[in-house]
Amino acid sequence: MGEAIASALVRLRQRRGRSLLAASGIAAASVLVGTAVVISFGLATGFDRAAARADLPDVVARFNEASLEDVERRVGSLPNLESASYALERNDLGIEQFGGNETSRTIVAAVGDGRRGYAVLEGSDLSGEAGEVLVEQGLATDWDIEVGESIYVDTLGPLRVTGIALAPEDVAYPLASRARVWVSQDWLGEFFLGDGETVNVARIWARDADELDPLLVQARSVSYGLENLRFVTVDGIRTLVGQAAGIVIALLIAFSLVAVGAAGVALGATARADVQRRLASIGVMRAVGLSRAAVAGHYGLDAALVALPAAFGGLTVGALLARGPSADLLGILNELPPGGAVLLPLAGCMLAIVAIVVGATVWPAWRAAGLEPARTLRGAELPGTARRSLAPGGPFGLGLRLAGARRGRTLTTALVVGAATSVVLLMLALASFLQSLQNDPGAIGKRYELAAAFPAGRTGEIEAVAGVDLASPRYELDGLDSFRLGETIAVIAYPGDHVPFEAPPLAEGRRLERAAEAEVGQGLADSLGLEIGGTLAVQLPEGAGEARFEVVGIVRAIDNEGRVAYVRPNRLLTSGLAFDPPIAIKLEDGADPAAVSQGLRAIGAEPQGATGATTRDQAFLGVLAGVLRVVAAVNGLICLFILVQALAVTAAERRQALAVLRAAGAERRTIALVLAGTAAAVLAVAIPLGIALERFVLGPLVSRLAAGYATPGLATPALQVLIVVAILVALALIAADRVARRSARASIPIELRGV
Amino acid sequence: MQLISVRGLRKSVGAGRAARILLGGADLDLAAGEMLAILGRSGSGKSTLLNLIGGIDRADGGTIEVAGERIERLGETELTRYRRERVGFIFQLFHLIPELTAEQNVTLPAQMARRDRNGRRNGACFHARELLERFGVAEVADQLPHTLSGGEQQRVAIARALVNDASLILADEPTGNLDPVAAANVLDALRSICDSGRSVLLVTHEPEATAAADRVVLLEEGRLRPEPARTGA
Repeated sequence: MGEAIASALVRLRQRRGRSLLAASGIAAASVLVGTAVVISFGLATGFDRAAARADLPDVVARFNEASLEDVERRVGSLPNLESASYALERNDLGIEQFGGNETSRTIVAAVGDGRRGYAVLEGSDLSGEAGEVLVEQGLATDWDIEVGESIYVDTLGPLRVTGIALAPEDVAYPLASRARVWVSQDWLGEFFLGDGETVNVARIWARDADELDPLLVQARSVSYGLENLRFVTVDGIRTLVGQAAGIVIALLIAFSLVAVGAAGVALGATARADVQRRLASIGVMRAVGLSRAAVAGHYGLDAALVALPAAFGGLTVGALLARGPSADLLGILNELPPGGAVLLPLAGCMLAIVAIVVGATVWPAWRAAGLEPARTLRGAELPGTARRSLAPGGPFGLGLRLAGARRGRTLTTALVVGAATSVVLLMLALASFLQSLQNDPGAIGKRYELAAAFPAGRTGEIEAVAGVDLASPRYELDGLDSFRLGETIAVIAYPGDHVPFEAPPLAEGRRLERAAEAEVGQGLADSLGLEIGGTLAVQLPEGAGEARFEVVGIVRAIDNEGRVAYVRPNRLLTSGLAFDPPIAIKLEDGADPAAVSQGLRAIGAEPQGATGATTRDQAFLGVLAGVLRVVAAVNGLICLFILVQALAVTAAERRQALAVLRAAGAERRTIALVLAGTAAAVLAVAIPLGIALERFVLGPLVSRLAAGYATPGLATPALQVLIVVAILVALALIAADRVARRSARASIPIELRGV
Repeated sequence: MQLISVRGLRKSVGAGRAARILLGGADLDLAAGEMLAILGRSGSGKSTLLNLIGGIDRADGGTIEVAGERIERLGETELTRYRRERVGFIFQLFHLIPELTAEQNVTLPAQMARRDRNGRRNGACFHARELLERFGVAEVADQLPHTLSGGEQQRVAIARALVNDASLILADEPTGNLDPVAAANVLDALRSICDSGRSVLLVTHEPEATAAADRVVLLEEGRLRPEPARTGA
């Protein structure tokens, strides 16, 4: 074996230039794969790592302040209980960095002894001494807070930062709306803690995390008297946080598959071209008595010795490039990077890449070794299949015929270009959709253009304003699912038909007609297992009791992650809850919103625009749309790379034919026309395939994966499809010209000899 | 009238100590309508000489004048035009494109030439049929090359070389892959080209293949000299 490797190294040194070229192609593909693996693996496993490191509780209960003794007694009676800790959280105390940032959107948590559900990343945990504070890592990053620095907290004064913590219960600031800090209860006085020892958060760890339901049911029964009680389980947290990551993972997986496919085509093409160049050598080997398997093994060993270091180097570079951005992304989600755990999937990828390269080399070598030695000694072209063709004559038609002579390879190339095209179209569709979510209420089913603060009983006055078509009070409250307690529900009610004002597309069933009926969002239906005819039981806030509705329709709602229910307000208005609903205003066709707003102000109503997606995500949506467009552009470059590789292989395989054309006086542009014909054959399959893949497979799959609760209709607009097609054609022409230039520089006599 | 005049042509391959002189100052004249055979051993530089005159390789020194034009001075674009308009190549291995029928192979250079010059096809198809008929392969016009015999393929290649009305035909071992009967047919075809006023420069290592030529020269040690038996023919 050692001798074989030594001989292989000698051969590679003799072909140093080509070996380096092949290695660089393998390395480039490996960089793409390494990047995608690090980011995907990090996102897929980040929450579990963070939860384990932070000792995340199985259940977090929040409620209005209650005495610690009372809460301890209730929690202590729960089955399956391993341990519990308690905290008092105060919202919206001002936090200020000296000479720098400040915010009043905060959570200041006073924690006692015991488990706390966070992990200290830098510095040390609270020791109980006065004047210490622990800062959430998103806040520390955003404000550039360091351990040892002082920050000012309202009512507590200047506090010294002892450490920076990761708290995976929520995403990081500023993606989370509130900045979070922790202080120790030990030194806090009445100004913070109040009269008695009160708490409003209980963190519960179960002995058996798979048996949470009995604990939750018992928790509900013992919680009578606790006001505004809300539960969230670790699964709920994972779902909430994972929704942001899900779409990124799905996109990266699609992107990785395209990258790997492109790499496979490129590597296969390079290997085939290399075998083609060395046909005479293969002829000699067979003539002196080497078996077919020995010849193929020869080439396989050469390929492995090139691929191993190239794949290792490429994957390493890709992983290092992705490490920083991946850690930043995970930091935003309050998750931890994978560290050394990513080495195993990277090692698997390296083996796969080497296997692809070796396989792509061994197969054409095996085929070439099966030819008559006399034929390969002459350096004849690898056999294709000459068939009669309906292609037109001339150089372009010749190019089509050359593609037809290699149907398998042409189809493989078309498949990869088609897949890359579908990813491009998907990215553009997603980017357009995300931008519409930012700005267009209609994207989430809202049909009213304005809202106004105005007494519900005077809605008629609003309808009388010029330009107003319809107006109605819009009631909304946050309820809880009565059975599971872990799911919050946005309950939206209109006194009459809500469809003119708000109508997410109906997926199943019908629109509600009566007071006891509800239309629920797909996200809510999926998470609670609701079906048409089932019962939605909503725990109303502030102890206002329970409201039950028959589910008559399921809608594709994106607002509030699909956890919405449309009802009539009758039950809500008899619950004793106080409502001051805004008036939803639908304008007449062609009405000027500014003029209508003036009319509203004239009667004392203050108008606001209807919003798109829940607003704190709008900046994130904008950034994500930008990232998607970049990914689309990168996929376009992959298409160019694949086309260049495919045409380069054609030019290498058919160099004798091209040399004959050049000897007969063909200019470079004529050779380019031949290669354009070959590219056209690829695109003729790839373009319709890409469009169909995006429309019927990737679009529905990604939106389902990402949202899990709505299908936003990810069909790329026709104009964008035309633009993508035009760009692909342009890329094909660029590829043809590039390869033709290279071909035109080759020596005609040498090309005619085929060596 | 002289069509080709070559003086002091030099060409080497390799570099430094590994350099090998293929042509060390070759002189050659070829008249219009003449068939000249260059005879030499394998590796003597015959094909190299052909390639230099055909404009698909560059000499290290010397001059090549074809129809009054010094082609060693031409740039790449002009050389391409020269090959397209003045020269037709015939190869030992025929080099027909497997995916094209015999007629399509003949038509292709004409389509390139017409398109590059004025963008129109200009009756190339009819001309191709005439040529195929002239060389006795009209009945295989619609067949793919792999179904043709060696002799048929070479005659199709001859038709291809003539489709652009080239005044100079360069044939590199045109009978090297053929049996004696097919070889004789091909040589007859080449002879008939000269009879129509074109010049043929043929290189071969087979003395029998020189029988149809007006003159034979030997290429030895990088220089050309008349074949002793045919001096003054």
